[in-house]
Amino acid sequence: MITEHGIGRRKPLGATIIIIVLIIFAIWTLFPVIWAVITSFKEPGDSYKPTFIPYKQFKPTLHAWEDAFITTRDRTLRSLRNSIVIATLSSTATLLLGAFAGYSLARYEFKKWKNKDIALWILSNRMFPPVAVMIPYFLIMQHLHLLDNVLGIVMVHTTMNLPLSVWLMLDFFSELPKDLEEAAMIDGCGHLKAFFYIALPISAPGLVAVYVLAFIFSWNEFLFVIVLGFRKAMTLPVLIAGSLTVRGLDFWKVASLSILAIIPPVILALILSRYLVRGLTLGAIKE
Amino acid sequence: MGRKNAKWAFLLPALVYLMLMAILPLVWTLTLSFTKWHANIMPKPQWVGLNNYKYFLFEDPRFWHALGFTSMYVGISVTGELILGLVLATLLSHRFRGRNFFRVIYLIPMACPPIAVAFLWRMMLHPDIGVINTILKFIGLSGVKWTTSANVAPFTIIMVDMWEWTPFMFLTLLAAFQSLPVELYQAAAVDGANSWQMFTHITLPLIAPVIVTISLIRAIDAFKLFELVFGITGAGPGSATESLSFYVYVIGMKWFKLGSGSAVSWLFLIILLIFAIILISRFKKQRTV
Repeated sequence: MITEHGIGRRKPLGATIIIIVLIIFAIWTLFPVIWAVITSFKEPGDSYKPTFIPYKQFKPTLHAWEDAFITTRDRTLRSLRNSIVIATLSSTATLLLGAFAGYSLARYEFKKWKNKDIALWILSNRMFPPVAVMIPYFLIMQHLHLLDNVLGIVMVHTTMNLPLSVWLMLDFFSELPKDLEEAAMIDGCGHLKAFFYIALPISAPGLVAVYVLAFIFSWNEFLFVIVLGFRKAMTLPVLIAGSLTVRGLDFWKVASLSILAIIPPVILALILSRYLVRGLTLGAIKE
Repeated sequence: MGRKNAKWAFLLPALVYLMLMAILPLVWTLTLSFTKWHANIMPKPQWVGLNNYKYFLFEDPRFWHALGFTSMYVGISVTGELILGLVLATLLSHRFRGRNFFRVIYLIPMACPPIAVAFLWRMMLHPDIGVINTILKFIGLSGVKWTTSANVAPFTIIMVDMWEWTPFMFLTLLAAFQSLPVELYQAAAVDGANSWQMFTHITLPLIAPVIVTISLIRAIDAFKLFELVFGITGAGPGSATESLSFYVYVIGMKWFKLGSGSAVSWLFLIILLIFAIILISRFKKQRTV
């Protein structure tokens, strides 16, 4: 009746129904991705036909992939490179600033403004709608000559992910014992040294989690990228949006480019599945 | 470096960065919202006081339509995701072979770039040649005008949102279920309670706080709806699926009316602020930092 971690009755029939429901939901979840993979190996003409089985129903080809990596090579590689550069730089900055601030809030006591108030104020910055800062960002970047520049987008993505980074780092540091650092400081180790040589190494899992979350969010972001980077600084999401032309949507193109954009964040999310839930719930749920 | 200096040296970089890149721009938007600035033809903004707000609140049906659509979408999709997530989490709380396989599969939608999700669905939902309508016709149903009917399109957006975010509810609830005390269920079982009674009398009350928190988080994120609208319907047909974010984007970046765009984005911000304050106050109560 009560399983180790489960609740309820276990009957063979019930178990079968459960599996069937789960399989149906899994097919529903996977279908768009599978369909994109199939479509990306079709000729343009075939891509508009709902056929499933290669060789039998359609002749598989590398047309879409050749188009992406040979015909329009420059655009694809530029977008891919920008996506990687922006996500890498902004998540590095996010992690650095976030680890510093999270550490400060976890280890020291603030008097006038309580630690919790500061932390919650920082977190609240994550909640306003991105469009509310879109216009000033456009004007600021125009003024700094950073429109259509990778650096401008890095700055914006860092702002977008910093609140969550501080909040989660605070959480991770609070879970770790402070004895080691205190002992080191008694032995004459400075605050900075204690942070870099003791606190950072023992919080490695937390650091990786925050870095990867920030990377995924930056990689997936679309609004700021189309507003601030349209050609030189375009990323994969902008490239995908470009497959909608006046003639309509090029199915084969959308399929191949989407697969390209989907693979990295999905692999990262699968590796980090335990922390993904924690990050997305702002640390409210720990697995 | 003393203790006092150290704590500020660690905290200040992030604080200053947020002040410069989040608070300052928000204040700037607020200032701009009291001006008229059609940036294509006007070199400088011109002060108009509350005119923008008056216009959008009392004279612009399109703003109210965007607000109405966005609210409906948030209400239905968050509720739907919660119910589906609860059902799935209850089913999967049993330990069985292949459980992790399913958990991993369900992670995929939320990790995908939303704009890729949007365009892939647009492709599949094409009324004439999309694979979904073909399947529907194959099994004897009639095709649905997913993106071309003003009555259906809002629900198309909701459906795709549920595809993307039901796993979020499901995985968070599953994690919450794991932390429930087994003893309570054992005691209830001894008293002869059935599964449904256990669910309504033990599980639901215990996870109610979690449900409220994750629904708020999801609602705040859902309100920002942009990519799905951009990719699936382009706000159409007409402006049937225009979300608040999309409307601000059109006013600001297509029409270059920076003053009006700022005013709408502040109205939007005030609405989200209500949700954010509730969520923050819950965090404040729950956690001892």
